[in-house]
Amino acid sequence: MNDCMESLRDGRLRRRSLLIGAAATTAAAILSACGSNSSSATNTPAAKTTPQASGAIAPTAALAPASTASAASVVSGGPTANASAGTPKKGGTLRYGLSTDPSNFEPHVSTGAASSDVKIMVYSTLITYDTQGQLVGDLAESFGWPDPKTFEVKLRQGVQFHNGDTLTPDDVVFTFQRIKDPKTAASNAPYLADVDTIEAGDNNVVRFRLKQPNATLPYGIADASSLIVSKKWITSGADPKTTMMGTGPFKFVERKPGVSITLTRNPNYFLPNLPYLDGITFQPMADDNARVTALRSGSVDFIDYVPYTQMDIIQKSPDLVFKSDKVLGFGWLAFIVDKKPVDDVRIRQAFAYGMDRQKMVDVAFSGHGAPITGGIIPQGWVGYSPDLEGTYKPNYDKSKQLLQAAGMPTFNTDVLTTSSYSVIQRPALAAQAELKNANINVNLVQQEWLPFNDTVKAGTYAVHIWGSAPAFNDPDFLTRYVGSTGFFAKQIHFKDDQIDQWLLQGRQTLDPALRGEIYHNVEKRVLDLVPWTYLIRREQGEAMQKYVKGYTHLAAGSWTQITLRETWLDK
Amino acid sequence: MGRYLARRIIYLVVQVFCVATIVFLLLRLVPGDPARAVLGENATGEQVATVRHQLGLDRPLLIQYGRWMGHIVRGDFGASILSGRPVLTDVRQRIGNTIELIVLSTFISLLVGIPLGIIAALRANRTEDYTLSSAAMLGLSLPSFVVGSVLLLIFALKLHWLPPSQFVSWQENPGQHITLLVLPVVTLAASTTAVILRMTRSAMLEVIRQDYIRTARAKGLGERVILLRHALRNAVNPVVSVTGLELASLLGGTVIVETIYGWPGLSSLLLSGVRSRDYPVVQGVVLVIAVLTILINLLVDLAYGVLDPRIRHE
Repeated sequence: MNDCMESLRDGRLRRRSLLIGAAATTAAAILSACGSNSSSATNTPAAKTTPQASGAIAPTAALAPASTASAASVVSGGPTANASAGTPKKGGTLRYGLSTDPSNFEPHVSTGAASSDVKIMVYSTLITYDTQGQLVGDLAESFGWPDPKTFEVKLRQGVQFHNGDTLTPDDVVFTFQRIKDPKTAASNAPYLADVDTIEAGDNNVVRFRLKQPNATLPYGIADASSLIVSKKWITSGADPKTTMMGTGPFKFVERKPGVSITLTRNPNYFLPNLPYLDGITFQPMADDNARVTALRSGSVDFIDYVPYTQMDIIQKSPDLVFKSDKVLGFGWLAFIVDKKPVDDVRIRQAFAYGMDRQKMVDVAFSGHGAPITGGIIPQGWVGYSPDLEGTYKPNYDKSKQLLQAAGMPTFNTDVLTTSSYSVIQRPALAAQAELKNANINVNLVQQEWLPFNDTVKAGTYAVHIWGSAPAFNDPDFLTRYVGSTGFFAKQIHFKDDQIDQWLLQGRQTLDPALRGEIYHNVEKRVLDLVPWTYLIRREQGEAMQKYVKGYTHLAAGSWTQITLRETWLDK
Repeated sequence: MGRYLARRIIYLVVQVFCVATIVFLLLRLVPGDPARAVLGENATGEQVATVRHQLGLDRPLLIQYGRWMGHIVRGDFGASILSGRPVLTDVRQRIGNTIELIVLSTFISLLVGIPLGIIAALRANRTEDYTLSSAAMLGLSLPSFVVGSVLLLIFALKLHWLPPSQFVSWQENPGQHITLLVLPVVTLAASTTAVILRMTRSAMLEVIRQDYIRTARAKGLGERVILLRHALRNAVNPVVSVTGLELASLLGGTVIVETIYGWPGLSSLLLSGVRSRDYPVVQGVVLVIAVLTILINLLVDLAYGVLDPRIRHE
């Protein structure tokens, strides 16, 4: 049975089985084969003591996120990281050099990765990610789709908030109602747009009833801005912007603005034996070099957001460990598709062919990245299209021909970008240099982040360069980029009925093979229409002292650092 | 003197009112929506509109101004749009750190800059003068982010003599607090010392060529007395002026040093406020800096009278 669940989780059984027949039958077969009692695939001692799932919610319909079979079946939560070398030791405080001083602790409004890193240690989500980027239960003992328009979550028994109160389904209902309340202006409210009602059922169950099927709901629930709060605590007038109280592995102790945020171990954490650390002290260190210096000199144990200029130094150091990915962060060059002269697809294609993206990776990120010459869905995800790789290999002659055909042998244009983030600015500078080879002369207009947002929205410039990362590990993240209601698509006035139709189908389809085809079509059509051209992926990661063990860099859920709860100090 | 002081205090009120009004208007002219800073890049247009309404940013400018002024007059600077903390609480927590940094660096600059300036003047156009003047030029021309980064690299990373970026309050650990102060203070003092050295040198050069210095020497006074009582006292007013200016500019200008060394002062608060268009924070911090700058100027003006009895404040 355990072997079966292992197979299910690593995808072997999932893909093979799901390709054979109808999705609902397959899911039921998997459940039947594995039984209803299952545990997450972890090797840590804690995982073995994790409460087993009970009260299985058997999926009866063909709907679940295809990238995670686990979300379609019953999954009990547990530690997310695999056991690292050595036996975990308890004790010690992790000194964490944080790249940004979090502006506040509001649990349902995202104010950046740094504040999420802090909040996820104090609060919990219903669902989280394992090391493979698959969804697993956190506060949820099990979860699944009893029918295409109902998502059920069974909560763990006896989970306590830091004030001693027991977590109830009412708290979960209150949390998601708060997220849906327009007054909260919650970051994840759009993910819950299809949710009609949220009900507290018997036996510790919470039901999300949807207006229409939406396979991406579990990802919205797993997001680091869907943190479960105590109804009593919030309604008693606590200010969640300045203080925190949840069910997470650590309790909030104090915040000294600009100096530190102190967390201490939650002895009643619902995962036995975790966390290993006695506490975490987050020290804001906005200056990249100072943060790295603090790590190299031993003043801190761990830093986030390692600048690419320092990655080589850290990787060469025998005392430090660097954990990163080149999967999530990426940049693009976008066109306001109805604005002259870039309303001509030939000009947009000229841009796409006019850049050697490998050179751009070398110039912008000293090699710490990867070129994107095809679709944007990364390798290993549903919808990844190897056949599209190389669609826009550098071809300066072709660029020039396209410009010539469009009646503009030399194309001079302003391109807007932001000076606030080097991960956006540097690829923009590299693109500017590259495009010269294709007779495209770019005047780079650099603005501060907030004005940049406003200017893009106003459509003042026909071309702009931006960068971001998928919020979750399902190809439906593309909706935000190319769906007509998507945040980024709206900015460039892009609307394509065919793509909208495919995206809707993708959300309502279980079969991974079918979903793969659907999102392949989306990717191909985007490459044909060129509302934007993708630039490069960037490496992003954390660095730590060699004695910091148990931490796993997750290229999932926008780099959630949930595995800090399994981190321990080997000294 | 009393009338002079009263007049200056009335000026202060008028100046602060003008600064407050200008900052309020300028902030609203600068592009960038605070609501988007609150909500992040994923926010929908509806969410941005909701938050703008909650913050009162959708009301007419005059009403926003009137409400803000009303609160300021009552001593209420409001709360940060982002953190929700009262602006005055943040200012109170940080102002001491900034004052400590700039007072210490200015004190060290005076302690080092004046004697070296005197030496440079006395040994004008000789090796000592050239060396000191070159060092001063270096101090002036090197930006503080270079000085800060180099000092950090040498003393924290290579030699391990001093800790890198960190902050520990005096109350928590006085010894560690002092150690942590060394690098930021030295970084700030590098350019201020250079300014004071050059100003002292040029003022002294002018004074020591005066007739009364020659007369003092002819009377048989010792060089030490001539230098300190006759020359320096007459040369010190420009130095005081420039010190006042340096102090005032450092009040809001220590942002790079605060960022490099993780020192939680007013400048970094102001910078984060500007970046996120946190209107109450920017308005509050600028007001406090304006009041302090005006007070420093007042003290400098009063110091002229103490140092040079010929100056009377009528």
